[in-house]
Amino acid sequence: MGDIAFNLLVFFVILARAQDDSHLQWTPAKADKVQPSGYSKLTVVIDKDEKVYLNGQPISEAQLAGAIENQLGKAPVGDRKVLLKSHKDATAIRFEPVIEAISQAGGELVHVLEDKKKK
Amino acid sequence: MRLRRSSKLLVEPPSAATGDIAFNLIVFFLVCASIQPDSGRKQLLPKAEQTQQQEQQDNITVELKRAVVLLNGEPMKLTEVTPRVKAKLSGKTRPEDRVVVVKSADDVPYSTWVEVTTQIEDAGGIITLQLEEERQVELPQ
Repeated sequence: MGDIAFNLLVFFVILARAQDDSHLQWTPAKADKVQPSGYSKLTVVIDKDEKVYLNGQPISEAQLAGAIENQLGKAPVGDRKVLLKSHKDATAIRFEPVIEAISQAGGELVHVLEDKKKK
Repeated sequence: MRLRRSSKLLVEPPSAATGDIAFNLIVFFLVCASIQPDSGRKQLLPKAEQTQQQEQQDNITVELKRAVVLLNGEPMKLTEVTPRVKAKLSGKTRPEDRVVVVKSADDVPYSTWVEVTTQIEDAGGIITLQLEEERQVELPQ
């Protein structure tokens, strides 16, 4: 019984990791007055190599706005949160078009940051 | 009378329970891993069509370069952004008057951008990004 449960759990964990972004390498920028960002079904990551990912899958900047708009659908205001996890050293030429795409798609942008006071 | 020490404490768990133990260990570590929520900062950016009209007016412009920040062309320190933007916005109550246009050089790092835009928002400004437009030039063959 335990073995079956164990195998089922491993199977679902692997399945979940397909949409996970924990394998991506990025370091958050530090800021004051950060708040818990809460849950969001959409996460955009700009990793240390300045590559862009939507929910763990690589995506081009040109496709990003359309993909976010599709996934948000007709979600009401307050339920359109998009988390942006950008590497602290990513340059404006990469992150500004991403921010613009989230804004164009009607997403509510939340920058994922680290509290300056946290050691 | 001599008492014999019981050796029951060293009994190994039955091998049939190994799977259950592993299952419980995995659940424990999964729960531990998922209770670290992200922290961050919400940012309101007006949609592009909303900002086009506003950009025609005289807005405050903050230019970000790798080593310097310019407020309407005047250089300032990173720590001065909030008080100086606040001073420029004083007396402006309508949202369209509080728009601050942020222009960034291509090599500005995200950490600097976050720091400056956070200060602008703290000063009551509404951030609008000004991106350089891409131009397609056809070369003669």
